Amino acid sequence: MAVFDTPQAAFGALRPVCVQLTRAQTVENVRQLQAHLAGVSGAALQELQEYVLFPLRFALRVPGPKQERLVQSLVQCISSVLAATCVKKQELLQELFSELCTCLAPPPSSVKAAPLSEELKLAVIQALHTLMHSAYGDVILSLYRPSSLPLLGFAVSLLLTLAEQEKAKQIKISALECLQVLVLQCDCQEHRQLDEDEEQQCGDLFASFLPGISITLSRVIAGDIKQGHKPTVSAIRLFYLIVGLVMADKQLARIPKSKEKLPVEHSRISELMIHRGSDWTKSTAEKLSLLLHKVVESSSVHPHWKVRLELVELVHHLLRNCSQSLVDSFSHLLKAVVGLVNDENSEVQSRCNKVLQGIAEQRIVAQNRALADVLSENLHSLATALPRLMNSQDDMGKVSTLSLLLGYLKLLGPKINIVLNSVSHLQRLSKALVQVLELDVTDVKIVEARRSEPPGPLQQGVQKGRCQKKYFRFFTEEKVFQLLQQVCRVLGYYGNLYLLVDHFMGLYSESGLYRKQAAMILNELVMGAAGVGVDFLQEREVPLNVDDLKGSITSILDEYMDQANWYLVTSVDTEESSPEQSEQHLGLAVRAGGASSSILLQSSEPPVTTRTMNSNIWQICIQLEGVGCFAAVLGKEFRLLLLSALYPVLEKAGDRTLLISETALGTLADICEACGYDSVQCLINENSDYLVNSISLNLRQLAYQPRASQVLDTMLRNSDASLLPLIEDVIQDVLSALDQSYNSQASTFLRVLHSVMTALVQWFGMPSAEEHQQRHSDKGQSRARSQGQHKVTMTSQEVEQFFLDYVSQKRIAEGDLPDLEEEEADEIPLAKPEPSSDTEGEAPMPSHAQLARDVMERCIHLLSDGSLRVRLKVLDVLELCVTMLHPHGNHLLPMAHRVWPALVTRLISDDPLAVLRAFKVLCTLAQTCGDFLRQRFSKDVLSKLTSSLLSQAPASARAGPVYSHTLAFKLQLALLQGLGSLCERLDMGESDLNKVADACLIYLSAKQPVKLQEAAQRLCQVDQSLFEKLSVLAPVLL
Amino acid sequence: MSQGPKTQRLTVLMALPPPDPQFVLRGTSAPVHTLHFSCGGPEPDIPLLFSGSENGFIHVWNLKTHRVDTALDGHGRKSVYCVETMGGKDRLLSQGRDQRICLWDLAEGRTSVTDSVFTEHMGFCRCSLLKVAQGRWLMAMAARSLEEVQILELPSKTSVCTLKPEVGAKLGMPMCLKLWQLSCGSQPVLLAGYEDGSVVLWNVSMGKALSQLSCHQEPVMSLDFDSEKAKGISGSSEKVLSIWCLNEQQNLQVYKTHELVNAGISDITIRPDKKILATAGWDHRIRIFSWKKLKPLAVLDYHTATVHCVSFSDHSSPWDRLLAAGSKDQRISVWSIYAQT
Repeated sequence: MAVFDTPQAAFGALRPVCVQLTRAQTVENVRQLQAHLAGVSGAALQELQEYVLFPLRFALRVPGPKQERLVQSLVQCISSVLAATCVKKQELLQELFSELCTCLAPPPSSVKAAPLSEELKLAVIQALHTLMHSAYGDVILSLYRPSSLPLLGFAVSLLLTLAEQEKAKQIKISALECLQVLVLQCDCQEHRQLDEDEEQQCGDLFASFLPGISITLSRVIAGDIKQGHKPTVSAIRLFYLIVGLVMADKQLARIPKSKEKLPVEHSRISELMIHRGSDWTKSTAEKLSLLLHKVVESSSVHPHWKVRLELVELVHHLLRNCSQSLVDSFSHLLKAVVGLVNDENSEVQSRCNKVLQGIAEQRIVAQNRALADVLSENLHSLATALPRLMNSQDDMGKVSTLSLLLGYLKLLGPKINIVLNSVSHLQRLSKALVQVLELDVTDVKIVEARRSEPPGPLQQGVQKGRCQKKYFRFFTEEKVFQLLQQVCRVLGYYGNLYLLVDHFMGLYSESGLYRKQAAMILNELVMGAAGVGVDFLQEREVPLNVDDLKGSITSILDEYMDQANWYLVTSVDTEESSPEQSEQHLGLAVRAGGASSSILLQSSEPPVTTRTMNSNIWQICIQLEGVGCFAAVLGKEFRLLLLSALYPVLEKAGDRTLLISETALGTLADICEACGYDSVQCLINENSDYLVNSISLNLRQLAYQPRASQVLDTMLRNSDASLLPLIEDVIQDVLSALDQSYNSQASTFLRVLHSVMTALVQWFGMPSAEEHQQRHSDKGQSRARSQGQHKVTMTSQEVEQFFLDYVSQKRIAEGDLPDLEEEEADEIPLAKPEPSSDTEGEAPMPSHAQLARDVMERCIHLLSDGSLRVRLKVLDVLELCVTMLHPHGNHLLPMAHRVWPALVTRLISDDPLAVLRAFKVLCTLAQTCGDFLRQRFSKDVLSKLTSSLLSQAPASARAGPVYSHTLAFKLQLALLQGLGSLCERLDMGESDLNKVADACLIYLSAKQPVKLQEAAQRLCQVDQSLFEKLSVLAPVLL
Repeated sequence: MSQGPKTQRLTVLMALPPPDPQFVLRGTSAPVHTLHFSCGGPEPDIPLLFSGSENGFIHVWNLKTHRVDTALDGHGRKSVYCVETMGGKDRLLSQGRDQRICLWDLAEGRTSVTDSVFTEHMGFCRCSLLKVAQGRWLMAMAARSLEEVQILELPSKTSVCTLKPEVGAKLGMPMCLKLWQLSCGSQPVLLAGYEDGSVVLWNVSMGKALSQLSCHQEPVMSLDFDSEKAKGISGSSEKVLSIWCLNEQQNLQVYKTHELVNAGISDITIRPDKKILATAGWDHRIRIFSWKKLKPLAVLDYHTATVHCVSFSDHSSPWDRLLAAGSKDQRISVWSIYAQT
């Protein structure tokens, strides 16, 4: 179709159809006009606007009933004209506006006609919409004079009716959108920005419609869900736009005290106008509050997320514009938005967060005392209800309740202190938290799970301390716990740390029931105060004072590590502490803790239940986790606190309860990381002076020894020889303390001595022991070689050497000591490594060897202790001492001499277990003291051992498969395995070897258990080699 | 460490387990002969403890970390047996068996000997320091010739006088010195304990002995004097503590003696508030007595060898105050002991 650019051409083209339409108002004609319009350019049409509109408007104005289709096409045609042109005259705008409105109005009440068709309504609404957009900025304002109030009111009520009562979704939406345009709040950007005065005028004007609009809209919003989400969204938007406009704080602030007098001719209109004075504002706010409550209630649980999103917008908009006028509604509004922070829809969530952040950043709350009051009131009522809610709600309910709580706290931000300063607020809040955080302490496994022995070196399996998974009585959902954590951290972040710490410390010491929870909260508070892992909306006003933090942490640590709170009964293990000891300890702890000491610790209490122990374990774990937190928070500053904190943690790392030791290891890892140590070993090494101090002081207190020895043990295992100078005096202390109390404390001391000796052997003993082994194997090899050579041809030299050795040894064995010096030189090669030994006794002994000697001395006394357990332990320690003293034969021999009588008693007349271990010691001793032992062994022990082998043989020959698990079997096996090398080392004489051979022969029987047979075979082989030598050489040469 | 039970322990002596030191300082790697606190500074100052040991080192202990901050080596690895601060913690005086008294400048991390005095004295007699004016001190020290005591002014090192006993007095070497004055500006007076067991009161400005009292059969090992009560105490290798007083005529008189369980006192110190005193015993024990009636209050048993020295801290708050003891077992034990009220 041709395009008519010029008005003339367009006029030529349009005139016939316009005339035609004026003559006959038919749908066909309208369509024709419309068809022609399409070919006319915008500029040309603008010129002809009124001309073209005339027939259309004429047709509308023709009195009498009209065809609906005609009206519809007319309206659509007008709409398309307006879409392409601008309305530049006020009158035209007003007339068109009222004409269009009339189309919508129901026909005069006298004639009850069928209701208008939906298409028509839609067309009219759209036409109105277009009209409003086509009007020039100034022109449109003419609609918003007081004089136009009735007309506007008419339109508003029409559109509201449509929005509320229409079934068709599209009409509802259009009507709402049209209303939005009508109140000058269109979403599109084309409109001119109103200046303040104009806005104020409009506000005055719309105030008249506010009741109608808001009530209707709230009904739409709360209406049937079936209407779909779009009308609801539009209604919400319109609601907040109009409320935000009319109730804007900015406008209300400018309202004059008394109503403006309008010119007389407008007196009727003046009655309609509303004066937005303070009374009106107040009453309106009250009414709106009700409506808002309704709106929030229905839309916050609306299934469609866009509705909820719009609700967030509503809060945002109103809070920004009406934070004063609508202050009473904010408790609902904030509750809504805070609650939506955890919406299932991520978009709603993020928007919510942004809005909250915006609120916080603009310090809306901080600057508005009233709002802060509202929030703290909300918080108070929530805190009051919290315990009940936590008991009754399911996990989802708890999540929403807690997110609400968290939201309030975050919004309050720095104003939290208002709440905290009120005793009742703080008390309710803390009670609620403490109740919710109650742990489930029924799990028996926690108590049962023991650390497997022996514990490996510390660095293995030490990862960064993760919190142990806790089980709560009132919830299982992890999310709930995270929220609670956040609540505490936010409190710590904004709140007065001294006040909070003081309060929760009060709860901590108030009752054992609260202790664990209070500790958990304290840990989180400190984290929050340091700003670690806090999810906050606005920075706090006062930056963190590190000294304050350190002060708080120090006082919490003191409390945690108080004897009454740190040393709790976690097991009924008698091995760890004998009953009298623990009782003594309990008594002490109670005394130290004073009146506040835990009820759990009263020694009058009947035996501890599993539940109590579980609870105690958790308390220790939580406190350990706290130490980790504190370290993380203070970083290198924590190094100063290691003085008091490291020892207790290390103590717990050695605890037998799995959970505690694991947690303590995690804490150690945390400390390492925080204080900049590469490894736990590093941590222990560099702070060994602190540890030694604590250990030595604790060793003085008999009651604490088991634990101090554990730490010493841990420390020794994780340190190296450089530690020795530091611990030397501690070990001496232990020894002198042992001297004071052989009877009562022997087993405890022995544990310490055992770990000391193990460490010493590890640090100093190994090389020489290896060396020793080396020598031995060399010896063995040369022997084997000589044997082999013997079989072929033995060099005369070797034969001579062997013979000389034999003779001299035989003589010694007979007690004839020809030349001591020479013999030493020959026979004890291991005494040689001391090159400076001009005279043996004076050679300075290294301190580790001295210690070994000192320890060995104590062992002599304890070897005949009444308790088997002690004797076994002593034998273990003794073996280590002997190993340690191997390179110092001159010192070992006198000691061995003193040990011998007691050792013999163990070997020949003690429990099989003790015999077994004593035999091991004997074997170790034989490595160095061959000559010393030979005769004694053959005289005191050998016959007894062989006879026991002989007497046991029939029993084992008869025995079934279970026999290999018995002690007797183990003893037999050890003897058979050990006697061979023992005889070899000691170079036993012929008759003794015969005894051994006799004993061993029975065990070659096929009736004996296989293992014993094998051992016996091996023994025979060793013997054989000796026999051979003897039988070949001795008779010939002697 | 909580302080509650400790008071209890002190009052109900022996009924409860023996008290523990608050902490123990290890690492001098030699017997400790002298200790001196410097804790009086305001808050940011770190409280310090100086220790002098047999290997010639002076260790500066940081009482916050309980670790050695610096080790000063100025006496040629010869035993250091006296350490004193002059004014603040930045100026230090030390006396060693190398027969030298060194003055140290420790300000701003420096560790230099600024000046030294060659005493030529072979014994163990600790010098005594008295502040007479701002930046001026008097120092009494045993001099080269056996029985003499020399008074120097510091820092100028000018000799004020030499105190010589009368010919034929046969006092022997001076063993311990205590320089004091009744009030600021009044005459400085010296109390000296001698090898023959007597204590002599010297007027420093006149260089004349005012009074002499024979307190012990054995050499006087240590003495301390309370100028307010005009009463002093001395200990020797015997089993006796001797308390003596100074009457208006400037005469020393025996006030009373106190019998000890074990013989041998190597050091005696009266706490600055004059309420209690501590003794360092050869029996490895530190004993606390009330100064007024010499009532035994506590036996602090920790060391495993002779205790060489005891020293009270100068913390400004009474609750922080400490007692330190150095021993032949190379350890320094630090105890928390405060006024019983």
